[in-house]
Amino acid sequence: MDRIARQISFFAPAAVMSAWATVMLHTYAVGHLNRLLNPMFRNYVLTAAILLLVLSALYVLLYQPTTETAPSLAPTGRLRQFGRWLVLLIPIIAASILSPSALSSTTADRRGLDSTAGVTPMPSWDAASQDSAKKALAADPNQPVPVEVTDLITLSQSPDQIKAFEGRKVQTVGLFVAQPGSAPKLVRWIMWCCAADAVPAAVELSGNTSGNWKGDEWLEIVGTAHFPSTLGHVAPQIEVDTIAPTQEPDEPFLSP
Amino acid sequence: MFFAAFDLPTAPASAGISWPDVALSFFAIVLEGAPFLLLGAIISGLVDVFLPAGMIKDWLPRSKTQGVFAAIGAGLIFPLCECGAMPIVQRLIRKGVPPAIATTYMLAAPGLNPLAMFSTFLAFRNQDPWLMVVLRFGFSFLVLLFLGFWLVRLRPDQMLRAETLIGPARIKPEMTPNPGLVLTPSPGLSLGGLQQFTGAVIRDFTGVLLFLIIGAAAAALFSTGFDRNLLAPIGQNIILGPLAGILLAQLLCLCSTTDAFIIAAFAPFSIPAKIAFLVAGPLIDLKLYWLYRSAFQARFVHALWMRALAATLLLTLLYSLKP
Repeated sequence: MDRIARQISFFAPAAVMSAWATVMLHTYAVGHLNRLLNPMFRNYVLTAAILLLVLSALYVLLYQPTTETAPSLAPTGRLRQFGRWLVLLIPIIAASILSPSALSSTTADRRGLDSTAGVTPMPSWDAASQDSAKKALAADPNQPVPVEVTDLITLSQSPDQIKAFEGRKVQTVGLFVAQPGSAPKLVRWIMWCCAADAVPAAVELSGNTSGNWKGDEWLEIVGTAHFPSTLGHVAPQIEVDTIAPTQEPDEPFLSP
Repeated sequence: MFFAAFDLPTAPASAGISWPDVALSFFAIVLEGAPFLLLGAIISGLVDVFLPAGMIKDWLPRSKTQGVFAAIGAGLIFPLCECGAMPIVQRLIRKGVPPAIATTYMLAAPGLNPLAMFSTFLAFRNQDPWLMVVLRFGFSFLVLLFLGFWLVRLRPDQMLRAETLIGPARIKPEMTPNPGLVLTPSPGLSLGGLQQFTGAVIRDFTGVLLFLIIGAAAAALFSTGFDRNLLAPIGQNIILGPLAGILLAQLLCLCSTTDAFIIAAFAPFSIPAKIAFLVAGPLIDLKLYWLYRSAFQARFVHALWMRALAATLLLTLLYSLKP
């Protein structure tokens, strides 16, 4: 019995480190990491997973089950150590199974749906996309210009851009959020480091938004952009022409 | 009240906390922190193998005052994130660096480093960026001086856990982070350096990881469940604004290179409230509280927490009350 306990004690560190590496590699391989971390940090997770596997192998190679009865291997100490390994193991596995694909509208509301998070331009609104948006605006006024929700908030900070986009057709994708007592919104999450610090950026929807849309459903919307001002604060709005369910984007969170 | 009723995930917005979102946030925090913790453990292992005990102590100034300034200066030059710092600081203490100096560096590195200042400038570029950078740097520096001069008056046994408090002497297996992990070298393998390095990395990583998990769970719960709109009505108040900023920093547990972007977009807060958030957060929050507990005694961490927040509140209140 004591021998089995010693073997379990010996292999526990390798098992925990290997389990962490496996969870990290699986999260990376299936693309779930895109919903958790800014692109900058994703390769760090991959590197850490490989290093943990190497460390596990080195541990098994370089060390052996102890033959002495060290104070920490007394029955109470051993039990405490088993508990410690379980705390290192269970939460990470549970979180990998239970974590959803996106943050819900409940959390969006708690983190401030009326925030001005999108004021900071996202990579989607770089020089190239601004240039292509200009060309699209100049070409066919009935052809919708593809923009992100955050782009519309960025545009609303510039009087020149407001003039260029007011009344123009736009096409965008986001999560549908409907709250009692306020207009429905289309939301994109902005992630700075990880999903825990993500903040929602929202544009209000007006016009025909009828349909059996579930909360937190990904929708593609084509409509007319408006920039109404209340007490000097401009909040972009889309007057909806068409609304349809769509696939979750490859990058569900936008990262600066 | 921070939380409304705990409801099922399908509950309508604003009805309660979304537990799947807590799981997502927890998973994100640990996956973001673990690689930096592993990096910290690897650096700690290299220090263990290659740096003779007492060598760094010889480089440090003899005077306590100069030591505090040197630690704050090191925080300016050598950026370290909060998660990666813990194993390195513990190892430096075991290698003979005075705990007060190592702790001052640990507190200074996240908030004062150039990356944090640059991100503050970028985040506030439309809201008087130089003022925000100068206030953040200046107030952080003053709070760190206050903490540094308090720390040098403490004895190591008033600060450190027993397993950290072993000085530069040879480490016994049971006197390390993760004290129950007993490493018995395989016979016939003369890989002393590699064995020492591997053992140090595994002990440090698994030892601090436990506290990262507890801290991440607390941070995920509060950053997801706390309704930020509750603080909006007091964010502009001259007295309560800075208090709201400090409270928000404690609950959100953001990295020092990110926090400025989040708070810059938080319109209901005044400048003193935002500065209080930016100064207090990198010093201590719910996640850091648990990480600090991996090396320090609970009583000391509570005293540090109280002093850091009180000093931040005092400075930001004075700024808030200026004519």
